[in-house]
Amino acid sequence: MASSLSYREKTLYASLGAELLVYGPYFFLHQQNSVNNVAGMIIAIILLQIVLQLVIAIFTRNRITDERDRLIELRGYRAGYLVITSLMVIGLGMLWLHATIGHLSLDSRMVGLHFLSVFFGMLVIADIAKTLTQIVSYRKAL
Amino acid sequence: MPAIRNRIRELRAQREITQQELADRVGVTRQTVIAMEQDKYSPSLETAFKVAIELGVPLEKCFQYDPHGRR
Repeated sequence: MASSLSYREKTLYASLGAELLVYGPYFFLHQQNSVNNVAGMIIAIILLQIVLQLVIAIFTRNRITDERDRLIELRGYRAGYLVITSLMVIGLGMLWLHATIGHLSLDSRMVGLHFLSVFFGMLVIADIAKTLTQIVSYRKAL
Repeated sequence: MPAIRNRIRELRAQREITQQELADRVGVTRQTVIAMEQDKYSPSLETAFKVAIELGVPLEKCFQYDPHGRR
């Protein structure tokens, strides 16, 4: 199967693997509300992506991208945009709801970290949605 | 049935051109040629012309449009 994958597909699978490897433990194993954790995750994902893309580039002879790759890339970005805007609307709605019924205390010292964690989570979900959409688009009719 | 169908596989076989050779000549990936042959991807007009030229046939001999086909 590996030889039937284009350069772009290989990079997408690598991106998805890196995202799951780095974000998975962050969301399910570690304490979430820490600026250092978020910064560490961002640095880890950047470094891992660079290494993986380099390895793929070295071992892939034909690295051209064409119009189909660009179309699929756009589909992925559209899906990611829809996901992040939906999450933002839901998040703002929940914020409004909590503020209305009085459960939200903006005086808390932890509120900034909570927001950071939520926004980071939204970005991660949107990024994974983008990558998954692109992977699926390569396998189905356009 | 897809709206745009093609005879790329048949014409390519007649001329003994591999998918990779056609892809290189047209400037697309082999996976795109495979997707076109399986009617999973309708190329741009420019790519369709390039494919027809490389296969040595007019565009309408290579690609057919079915107005009742699914998009």
